[in-house]
Amino acid sequence: MEIDFTINGKATRLNIDPAMPLLWVVRDELNLKGTKFGCGKAMCGACTLHVDGEAFRSCSIPAEFVSGKSVTTLEGLSESEEHLHPIQQAWMEENVPQCGYCQPGFMMAAARLIEQYPAPTDEDIKNNITNICRCGTQPRILKAIRRAAEIKQSLKS
Amino acid sequence: MATENKKTFSRRKFFQRSAIVLGGVVVATYAAKGVIRRFIAETAEGMDMPSMLANNEALLWFEILPDNTVLMKSPKIEMGQGIFTGFAMLAAEELEMPLDRIKVEHASTSNGPIDKVSTGGSNSTSSLYVTIREVAATMREMLKIAAAKQWGIKPSEVKAHNGELSSGNRKITYAALAAGTKDWEVPEIPALKPASEFRFVGKDFKRIDLKQKVLGKPIFGIDQTFPGMLYGAILQSPYIGGKLKSVKTDLAAQSPGVVKVIHEDDLVAVVAKSRYAAQTALEKMEAQWDVPKKWQQDEFVALTKVGTGTRVNVQNEGSAESAIKDHPEEVFKQEYRTPMAVHAHMEPNGSVVHAEENKATVWTGTQAPDMVRGAVSSALGLGKDEVNLKVAFSGGGFGRRMDLLQPQNVARISKIVGQPVHVFNTREQEFMNGVFRPQTHHVLAAKMNKNGEVEAITHDQATPDQIFSMAPENVGAFFLGADFISAGHGASIMYNVKNKSTSVWHQQLPVTTGIWRSVGIFPNTFAIESFMNELAHKTGKDPIALRMDLLKGSEKINKRYQKVLEVLAEKSGWDKTKPEGTGRGVAICNDRKTIAAAVAEVEIIDGMIKVRKITQVIDPGMVINPEGIRMQVEGATMMGLTATLYEEIKVKDGQIASSNFHEYPMVTLADTPEIEVVIVQGHDEPYGVGEPPMGPVAPAIGGAILQLTGKAVRSLPIRLS
Ligand code: FES
Ligand code: FES
Repeated sequence: MEIDFTINGKATRLNIDPAMPLLWVVRDELNLKGTKFGCGKAMCGACTLHVDGEAFRSCSIPAEFVSGKSVTTLEGLSESEEHLHPIQQAWMEENVPQCGYCQPGFMMAAARLIEQYPAPTDEDIKNNITNICRCGTQPRILKAIRRAAEIKQSLKS
Repeated sequence: MATENKKTFSRRKFFQRSAIVLGGVVVATYAAKGVIRRFIAETAEGMDMPSMLANNEALLWFEILPDNTVLMKSPKIEMGQGIFTGFAMLAAEELEMPLDRIKVEHASTSNGPIDKVSTGGSNSTSSLYVTIREVAATMREMLKIAAAKQWGIKPSEVKAHNGELSSGNRKITYAALAAGTKDWEVPEIPALKPASEFRFVGKDFKRIDLKQKVLGKPIFGIDQTFPGMLYGAILQSPYIGGKLKSVKTDLAAQSPGVVKVIHEDDLVAVVAKSRYAAQTALEKMEAQWDVPKKWQQDEFVALTKVGTGTRVNVQNEGSAESAIKDHPEEVFKQEYRTPMAVHAHMEPNGSVVHAEENKATVWTGTQAPDMVRGAVSSALGLGKDEVNLKVAFSGGGFGRRMDLLQPQNVARISKIVGQPVHVFNTREQEFMNGVFRPQTHHVLAAKMNKNGEVEAITHDQATPDQIFSMAPENVGAFFLGADFISAGHGASIMYNVKNKSTSVWHQQLPVTTGIWRSVGIFPNTFAIESFMNELAHKTGKDPIALRMDLLKGSEKINKRYQKVLEVLAEKSGWDKTKPEGTGRGVAICNDRKTIAAAVAEVEIIDGMIKVRKITQVIDPGMVINPEGIRMQVEGATMMGLTATLYEEIKVKDGQIASSNFHEYPMVTLADTPEIEVVIVQGHDEPYGVGEPPMGPVAPAIGGAILQLTGKAVRSLPIRLS
């Protein structure tokens, strides 16, 4: 089936199985490896990306769901590698990643969170992001999200 | 070891290799001194795995790139520990290069030798602390010699600074000099800079792989793609000990996107145009399994029990056993258990292999590159030298990547289809076919005198092994009896008690058990330190004071323990009043000379354990990158928290009962306590940091619960009944 959608700002048409999870469309058909596979069952968040600005666990949504919609992956989060998104800036400041594998999913979930909660408390963050990190970067992720919200605010003013 | 011969060898190799390296010049040198020293130290320490010590030839390579940066090829792998950062810092010290001009990547067999040492045991930085500086210093001297030749002066008249060589007003960059140098003279290993002159070591540096990871670059094994690459999925037994009886593959073969179905001996696999197609097809296979026994949890747990299997005594001072046997009325005795666990690193295991006519290339994240190379070469009937291994960044490892992750089967598949093949497990396959952290059972007994002083103590630990599967069948069990090296690591009693005795018991499980972050330290510290907390509770002593008393003595290491406990008491506010409804617990361990101790503050809210704060104090000997240490301690604390509160692999009806994260929960942001890390520099050489801080987490939390409820925690994960 032909599916039209936008990926990181670019219009795309793919002829694929409409049931193929979006995760594999992005990783294997579009060769964007920033979105990770961790569980395949919407339980770890490694595959988090944005569809029309909302955060989704892409392993558990079929390709056809994004027909006519706009998908953003980590590769499309920042303007360029020099001008990082506030989330990525904060991740750099707080030196967050260890192995790094879960981080794209966390950054995408966090990027959405600071849209919804411009000044999130720890409780806001803890209640809304349930991704898994086995390396134990959670203490730094909490700090980085609050820091990212500050960076975002300062850009506005 | 014949140093001379090796030097000649490595020079010859260097010349061969320099011809094939594009865009730079390779400089290699052999530095045995540090390795031999380390070998002796480790052997004396008696705590490292023999497999790590086999054929410890270390060749470390630097490449000077045209932009005057240096590329270092690491024989150790980066799976999150941050070792590349520490390596770059060490190299920068002797290379006289700014840190940001040093890049580190994994050595691959085509651009630098992969050494035979695996990555593990928290020893990457400590074991290479001398070697890296020696190799870097040698390279700096080689550059100086080359410059001296060019300028017709003595090497001692050349200065190396900031990536530049100079003498008087002559100046040349390392890159310009290296580009024009063909004959390198390798000097004797130069004397190393004293620690007082370090410019980087001891200061905070962020990870050198930070930006790549923040940008989500395709650095992992699972991210690798190659022209013509196909995707495979391998049928794996869903039963413990299950052997394939029969399989119907027609439906799989007809599934969309399938290129080939393979059924060759024990290997059943699908190859398809996409991973999705391969996995979808695999699910359509109808397999029948011969299951020798359908294991249930109770009988499984019963396999690991003190008194069952082979016993090896590993510590025997004074007459602990008779003291305890002869005075049962004065003996306090308790039992502890820890469950099986799985690694659950976030990037599943797998590899990409391209098998060609007379060679093969493997891309994977592995802690044991040499083993992968060996397995692939024998699967394909190739020489080891014909297999080129490219090591990718690992999305976590924690010991799982010490074992083979099917690269030999991926190699067979690639050979059959004649294309590069990408095979990575599903999470279900990861859990089903894990190499598990062994379950353990502990019996601790202490005899106390009238004053409540401990006169004798015994510890019996029953544990399946973690290292026997790495040696040919029965070899480990035959030579060692029980795995006191890895699974039994940390079983011995470190306290100054006159009479003490420790034994490790071994009985095999029907599943493969293996290395898991902190090896024996996690279960043994849980058992011993929970017992100490119970002793304190029973005798009405303060848990830190009780430990301080038991650590009195003249040995240097005991001084380090005491110092760590003192700092911990102060930083955790141990003597300050606790907030209402909070319990505080403490624990300490010694893991390969690193001392780690923690205090946990715990509340119980609506019957749920809430860990509010964990203060960790670590004395890792010498500190290389404090920021790197803090990250590792935080990580170990969080992993320890999962292991304390949630983790447990159970078996049911012959299967592993956890299929995915819904049946194997992990800590999330919501569980994250405040973590304070305090570093005490207690020695002038570095020890490990990745594993030791896991030790105290569970018993410190258990101690807090004991204080809060009066009920002791004796098994993990903690369940409040
Ligand atoms: S891979 Fe999608 S949530 Fe885990
Ligand atoms: S950084 Fe390794 S899983 Fe999160």
